Amino acid sequence: MTVTTFATTQEDLQLFVSEVWSNHVAQLDELVPAPPHAWTAAAGVPCWSGAVSVTGEWQGMIAVDLAGPSAEALARGMLALDEAEDVDPVEVSDVVGEFANIVGGNVKSLMPGPSSLSLPLVAHTVLEPPSDLQPQLTLDLAWRDAPVRVRVLAVPSSSTTP
Amino acid sequence: MHALIIDDSRAMRSILRRIVTGLGWDTSEAGDGQEALTLLEEGLVPDLCLIDWNMPVMDGYEFVVRVRSESRWRGVTLMMVTTESEHDNIVRALAAGAHEYVVKPFTPDAIVDKLGLLGLTVTEVPA
Repeated sequence: MTVTTFATTQEDLQLFVSEVWSNHVAQLDELVPAPPHAWTAAAGVPCWSGAVSVTGEWQGMIAVDLAGPSAEALARGMLALDEAEDVDPVEVSDVVGEFANIVGGNVKSLMPGPSSLSLPLVAHTVLEPPSDLQPQLTLDLAWRDAPVRVRVLAVPSSSTTP
Repeated sequence: MHALIIDDSRAMRSILRRIVTGLGWDTSEAGDGQEALTLLEEGLVPDLCLIDWNMPVMDGYEFVVRVRSESRWRGVTLMMVTTESEHDNIVRALAAGAHEYVVKPFTPDAIVDKLGLLGLTVTEVPA
């Protein structure tokens, strides 16, 4: 039995997220490490989550969670809207899904063996992962105090081959 | 010059549209491979297709295979723009007839550079 090693590091994840942010939200403030209790402070603020699943030799899920202001900032950046312009929730949902898709695709690229990426699932709340997935990595960032979290979760026993 | 942008994300289509219209190109858009194929069947003749891989209904790889199976579309340049970055899949897409491959996230310069490599006329429109 061969056990597949989880290959993505915190630095990899930081790089993927930073590249998306700097490419598309460059005119706004950068992402910074989240202050302590960022999500507690954001309690009551509407949140968005996007997630993609990876199936193959490594099986897992990559989820991005964004507090409303950070999700809207990303949407404005990707859609080239002014900072004062309202963003349609449909547009925010699309952007959060694409953010999960890009980060998830890059995480998948570091995993050994062929695998496939699902289409993104988006919710206007923080998605709870299936119970068989265990956290592997969590990256906590913030944009103007609005938290942005990236979670990598995996099926512990699925990364084996006979 | 005309580019057909094929991606299920409206935001990503918007980003690519801004890049190529900035070069003076016209654009059309489709949300999946089947929608794009329908546009071609209806007579659209783009110089370039920018193609996502993971899309509902018909994915980008299948779109490339379908386009390359028809001689009437052999003049269309196909560029994958996708998060799908496994080496085997890149090779598969190029073998199926894609001319170039860009992995998301990308910078506008990365797209412009690839267009230059493909020999497509790149004339930036003054702001």
